[in-house]
Amino acid sequence: MTNSALQQFERDAALKAADRQHRAVIQKNIGTYNIAVANGRKRFADWPGSDQGWQNARSHAAAIKWETINHLDRYLEQFEQNVLANGGHVFWAETAADARDHVLELARRHGVQKIVKSKSMTTEEIHLNDALEAAGIHAVETDLGEYICQIRGEPPYHIVTPVMHLTKADIARTFQEKLGVPLTDSAEDLTMIARAKLRQEFITADMGITGANFAIADTGMIAVTENEGNARLSFSLPRVHVAIVGIEKLIPRLEDLALLWPLLAASGTGQTITAYNSLIGGPRREREADGPQEFHVILLDNGRTRLLADVEQRDALHCIRCGACLNTCPVYTNIGGHAYGTTYQGPIGSVITPHLRDAQEWSHLSYASSLCGACTDVCPVRIDLHHHLLHNRRNAVQRGFDGLIQRLLFRAWFWTMQSPARYAVAAKLGNFALRRGLAGALLKPWTTGREFPAPPQQSFRDYWREHERRP
Amino acid sequence: MNVARDNILGRVRAALKVEAHRPVAPTDAPVFPPIADPETRFRAEFAALRGEIIENAQALRAFVGGFARIATDGAELTSQFVGEPNASVRDCDLGVTGCDCLVAQTGSIIVSTLSAGGRAMSVLPPVHLVMARREQIVADLASAFTLLRTRYDKHWPSAISVITGPSRTADIEKILVMGAHGPKRLALCFAD
Amino acid sequence: MRVALFIPCFIDQLFPNVGIAMATVLRRLNVDVYYPPEQTCCGQPAFNTGYWDEARALAKRHAEIFADADAIVSPSGSCTAMVRNYHPELLGKATRATAHTYEFAEFLVKHLRVTDVGARFPERVTYHDSCHALRELRLKDEPRQLLRHVQDLELVEMDRAETCCGFGGTFSVKFPMISYAMDEVKVSSIQNTSARYVVSTDSSCLMQIDGYLRRQNLPIKTISLAEVLAST
Repeated sequence: MTNSALQQFERDAALKAADRQHRAVIQKNIGTYNIAVANGRKRFADWPGSDQGWQNARSHAAAIKWETINHLDRYLEQFEQNVLANGGHVFWAETAADARDHVLELARRHGVQKIVKSKSMTTEEIHLNDALEAAGIHAVETDLGEYICQIRGEPPYHIVTPVMHLTKADIARTFQEKLGVPLTDSAEDLTMIARAKLRQEFITADMGITGANFAIADTGMIAVTENEGNARLSFSLPRVHVAIVGIEKLIPRLEDLALLWPLLAASGTGQTITAYNSLIGGPRREREADGPQEFHVILLDNGRTRLLADVEQRDALHCIRCGACLNTCPVYTNIGGHAYGTTYQGPIGSVITPHLRDAQEWSHLSYASSLCGACTDVCPVRIDLHHHLLHNRRNAVQRGFDGLIQRLLFRAWFWTMQSPARYAVAAKLGNFALRRGLAGALLKPWTTGREFPAPPQQSFRDYWREHERRP
Repeated sequence: MNVARDNILGRVRAALKVEAHRPVAPTDAPVFPPIADPETRFRAEFAALRGEIIENAQALRAFVGGFARIATDGAELTSQFVGEPNASVRDCDLGVTGCDCLVAQTGSIIVSTLSAGGRAMSVLPPVHLVMARREQIVADLASAFTLLRTRYDKHWPSAISVITGPSRTADIEKILVMGAHGPKRLALCFAD
Repeated sequence: MRVALFIPCFIDQLFPNVGIAMATVLRRLNVDVYYPPEQTCCGQPAFNTGYWDEARALAKRHAEIFADADAIVSPSGSCTAMVRNYHPELLGKATRATAHTYEFAEFLVKHLRVTDVGARFPERVTYHDSCHALRELRLKDEPRQLLRHVQDLELVEMDRAETCCGFGGTFSVKFPMISYAMDEVKVSSIQNTSARYVVSTDSSCLMQIDGYLRRQNLPIKTISLAEVLAST
């Protein structure tokens, strides 16, 4: 399984895994997150010694998403019908290119020169910003973390906390360099600098682009979750609002948010609920004081129907993009987000990327896991994450992505294990090689950082045969 | 004739010919603990979020008096207790609005384009003051949705926001900073 | 009741004392044990790497070897989890082995209902939760209960006890740099306890941790739960 994405990953992962300072920053962030989440979980109907409320919340959420995803055509149609009835527009985008082209078309039609964007992994996924830039349209990321990434020219580091990997000092230096402001030690000052800069952008922008955390079928609304208020400003001030929404974001009823909003907040940041949870159902209505003249929803497929068709892994589409699996993953907390080389990182990213993109090129991410299962334990919608990593591995082998050498090795190993006699011979040879120090080259991946155990005098089976009179 | 739509729905339907394994069913047990006294709970949550409660008419006068440029949503409650605006939403120091309801469970204030004078009035000003009545307090989000449905079904406002505290970010080293883009301060005055 | 010993291949070859210790403790508790010598491997390495056909064949073989056992006990959380949780999926059915295989600590506490095995180990010890024992078998308290009843043993909890040590089977050699970083984090947690020994139900975890400790020449030793319980 050699390919350039794998080689790039090995390089980047090795670099980051060795970077102690980088790891310390991530782990400090995760430490704060863990404390916040522990507090956030107390909001559920748990009692000392039992987390039944939380577990029940997960089961309810899993049921809501199961219902939606397994009847997705019905809910998509209902959603579309309601958006149209409320004066909005719906565009169906089969691919990333289709979605990008439509945004450009809308921008052209409305004479758009400046766009304000709020955080949306979907827009990252379709590489929208590059396309806008190429068309000469200035698109400003308004979420503080994303804004910082944009002026640094980096992709976001984490699904929920885009600049988890940067210190205050890193950001202050970036602002000094790119915005010409004096260096400051204060997170408050840095935030106020960004606030002032971006205020002007909101007021002068022609179009606002957001994602959606949920798309509600029975009311034809999208739900946008945030803490800063930049999404609200993005869909309130410009004259056109475009929302790019993955088809898996659907939920059946407005009332489902009474569970999903607190659940998303508890897992994502440890909050009871985020500062702003908004529902947008259409353009400005007749009696309303302000708002966009047009509201466009772009429903994005881009490989999601492929994942839908994989019945075994379909529940990966239940993901509410909380980031909990990333935060709990010991691989992620040691290599960080950028090393994955994908839009969606951590356990969920490793599971879905072979479905959304080329499976042969991205299956290696499913192997870059010790299968500890912590992700499955924390997922608020009960996605069977680490089992899907196993499924991806099985699929990779079945499709012949494993490479000749590995296949031959496992064939040989298997042939040996099927017979106690062959096993005994192989064991003797192995023990001999270890004692004579002949296995050095083979053991190198292990011994680069660790000692290998000294081979024992006698195996268990030989000891038992020697010391036990009866079988 | 929408080819993309037909293709996507076609692929969805083909995929769904087989149902996926159902997850373990939830129980009837409550997910959230019950709320005995909504007003007390609301006040506690709101205060924990750094929301400011203005307790009486005198305090309200003092609060509003500290701002030179005031924009309002022009609603009855606002006019009655705060008066007329002297600035636009884009040029004000303080924005005053009403609300749809208050949620005890989370300490939230729910506003809509119809209850808060549009979209910008409750997010653009640097300080946001909400005029409300105690009777507008509901226990939890579920009750809030019931209220909104009753009030707005068939003629929904184009935007609704559930506001829970002032604007905030922790993007920089997880240090909490208020007033990222939305209001830095959120105040609430009970008119009753 | 006769208990069949399920000794994973890597314990057979690299850590035989773990298996011997387990047999010793069981006998001390008057359990009649025997060892089916035809056993080789439960198939986990093949399964985890994606070779499910091979894993299935080994699972079938394993089921046949243990078809008549009353109870099957193993000093390995990961191999027990493989048989109990994944063999049924591979074989499409339950078998005697899939229904009656137990990890050693689990067997002592939940089936023999014993927490004091008459052991003595006068050391400061910390416990590492192996991911398979913790999340696949839901064992958290049982090993700790056993350790608390060992005479003169001082048990201290490490921070991040539940965080993976980084072994993960072939992961440790496919992505050694990530595995090493995880190992480093785990050893840092262990060092913070000032314990002289780190204990686990899983010798694979201990091999990973020990590899790092020995390379760094740190004054901490690894020891299996079975060997602690066999100490007098």
